[in-house]
Amino acid sequence: MRAIGGLGSGSFGVIREREGRKGLGELGLGLARDGANVVRFETGGRRKKVGKVVLALEKGGVQQQYVNGMADGAPGENFHQIATVGNSTNIKWHSCSVGKLDRQVLLGQKGCVIWITGLSGSGKSTLACAISRELHSRGKLTYVLDGDNIRHGLNSDLSFKAEDRAENIRRIGEVAKLFADAGVICIASLISPYRKDRAACRALLPEGEFIEVFLDVPIHVCEQRDPKGLYKLARAGKIKGFTGIDDPYEVPVNCEIILNQKGHETASPCYC
Amino acid sequence: MSTVGNSTNIFWHECPVGKSERQKLLNQKGCVVWITGLSGSGKSTLACSLNRELYSKGKLSYVLDGDNLRHGLNKDLGFKVEDRTENIRRVGEVAKLFADSGLICIASLISPYRKDRDACRALLPESFIEVFMNMPLEVCEARDAKGLYKLARAGKITGFTGIDDPYEPPLKCEIELSYKDGVCPTPVAMAGKVVSYLEEKGFLEEDKERN
Repeated sequence: MRAIGGLGSGSFGVIREREGRKGLGELGLGLARDGANVVRFETGGRRKKVGKVVLALEKGGVQQQYVNGMADGAPGENFHQIATVGNSTNIKWHSCSVGKLDRQVLLGQKGCVIWITGLSGSGKSTLACAISRELHSRGKLTYVLDGDNIRHGLNSDLSFKAEDRAENIRRIGEVAKLFADAGVICIASLISPYRKDRAACRALLPEGEFIEVFLDVPIHVCEQRDPKGLYKLARAGKIKGFTGIDDPYEVPVNCEIILNQKGHETASPCYC
Repeated sequence: MSTVGNSTNIFWHECPVGKSERQKLLNQKGCVVWITGLSGSGKSTLACSLNRELYSKGKLSYVLDGDNLRHGLNKDLGFKVEDRTENIRRVGEVAKLFADSGLICIASLISPYRKDRDACRALLPESFIEVFMNMPLEVCEARDAKGLYKLARAGKITGFTGIDDPYEPPLKCEIELSYKDGVCPTPVAMAGKVVSYLEEKGFLEEDKERN
């Protein structure tokens, strides 16, 4: 194995390698943008083929290693066994050589989930949009998963019964996890009234990547706003099991951020 | 306010940062590359290869692998017909979200029933690129990358696509990948074909006309 290694950080580019008189397949690799160091880059093999390539990147104390196949066909690596997960039998995890760290390098940000919880009318959707706008103005990629919007598509088969609320939150948690893995700052905005369900979503993500934001707005303020006319319908008995009226909201006991809104102030917090 | 399916009294919330702003930021157009084919036809391999080719061009893509999603979002689903349909429906909806976020979403799953794939296409009429891995059953079975054909032939798995459950090939897909002169193209070559298609159709740059 011939080591090239110790390349350090630099601008995004491509390494090409040719060896031998008859020439090899080209090997293209993206170099880390500033922030990630190339700590190891090894390539080797005989004249006609580029053998195994090992690339290790380090960023913020976290190392990630990639082993690429040959230049003319490097499949994704499957290094897990066949398994059963839930009702899904005989499944196998497929990994790709482009991973979470690569996407972070490409985007210049770390994917995560900002989970905004609170009563109906507390300002969750408004806050989600404000965060999205603020981050976009800083060149960051975000995506809002709004509870209502998701109920127009992925979760259109779910009602508001307790078990369906749990499934609604579970699915959004899983999707938010995928977005975070993709490098996106995912802003989930939904009442998510039950502590257990929010905790289950938190457990899906690595430490530090789930940021729970509680919009602590008194119910009388929310009801006064009643932006969607739902409190009125709930008080009239036309909607049953409405959070805050005849279904509980369980306040977070240990969230990252609590926002108290008074009157008509609009919060636009900076996410650092 | 509306009712959609079982979700009553819901509203659609718009945000000032929309798809075109995200596409401008990323310099690409969000879309879904939907890779379909028998087990062992090379879908995951192609997905990863495509992911890598796009990355090397500075484009952001994300792979939604059928098996991987069955570890998380879809772990409550089995392989009965209705569960397969729901699996595909959910992956389609998630892929739609990813495309809306500006990413090139690469969905890789057998998705054997035409009706279900068409339903996903209907979610994204202008940005759904169906890629059919047209590999003969004998080739897939000979590879048997996960040992599943062996289990299926031994009757230990029932309802296995290609053995005792049908695969309905696409009638009109954007890209078909198959053997050429008796040789299977390499994953890099196949990925290259998909990348060329994306380039041709303008997915690898922002929508300049709109901006």
